[in-house]
Amino acid sequence: MSHPMSHPVSRPVSHPVSHPTREVAMSEQRKDVLGLLAEGTISVEEAERLIVALERAQPAASASLATRPKGRAKYLRVVMEFLGEGEADRLNVRVPLQLLRAGVQLAALVPPRALERANAELVRSGVPIDLTQLRPEHLEALVEHLDETIVELDMSDGYLRVFCE
Amino acid sequence: MMPQLLTVGVKRPDRRLVRVRVPVVPVVLLLSPVLLLALVAGVVAGHVYHVDTLRALRTGWRIVCALPGTRFDAQFDRTAVLVAIR
Repeated sequence: MSHPMSHPVSRPVSHPVSHPTREVAMSEQRKDVLGLLAEGTISVEEAERLIVALERAQPAASASLATRPKGRAKYLRVVMEFLGEGEADRLNVRVPLQLLRAGVQLAALVPPRALERANAELVRSGVPIDLTQLRPEHLEALVEHLDETIVELDMSDGYLRVFCE
Repeated sequence: MMPQLLTVGVKRPDRRLVRVRVPVVPVVLLLSPVLLLALVAGVVAGHVYHVDTLRALRTGWRIVCALPGTRFDAQFDRTAVLVAIR
């Protein structure tokens, strides 16, 4: 895959999830409107109309995760799209959270001798983590809270989203 | 519920998409002698490395049963790969 930064091309990107940066952008736009009003470039009525229009645009922009029906998430999704040489490079992964929950049980199956050796290597590498203290319950708690996790990365030529649905 | 259908699709540049649907249950039945041998080997390895065999089997079965719904769909340049489990 080509490096994401190698194509500084701006293009419209469809956003499957909500966008915290949009709220920031809206606040900036509102400031711009107020700035124009303060400068006397637009009238009070025009400023009001613009702000109302911005407020109308916001719910549509932020509708997705914010309006996602509350309940237990079932899947971890990774969605990525970057503009490649010709066609766009795309990645769309859906992993059932149940699979992650089952997977963390594997941690309990690692033989103690292997954990001790891994601990020694970690200490030697400057990462003093005691893997023998890692319990499947801890990892399960981590998976349980994954459904509130949203990672969004927006770049000029694409985006990356990690979220649960 | 264990997986019923595995779909694998590959598209290479200048070629059309090739999609293969594999019914899991008949394939598992077909490969059952090999799977039985693998199971015995796993039990022996568990004893050698002091791993709780029953727990390992239970975890393995839970992982297999959690697989339906998994989907991996990637396209880089003009090559695309799709793996979906239902």
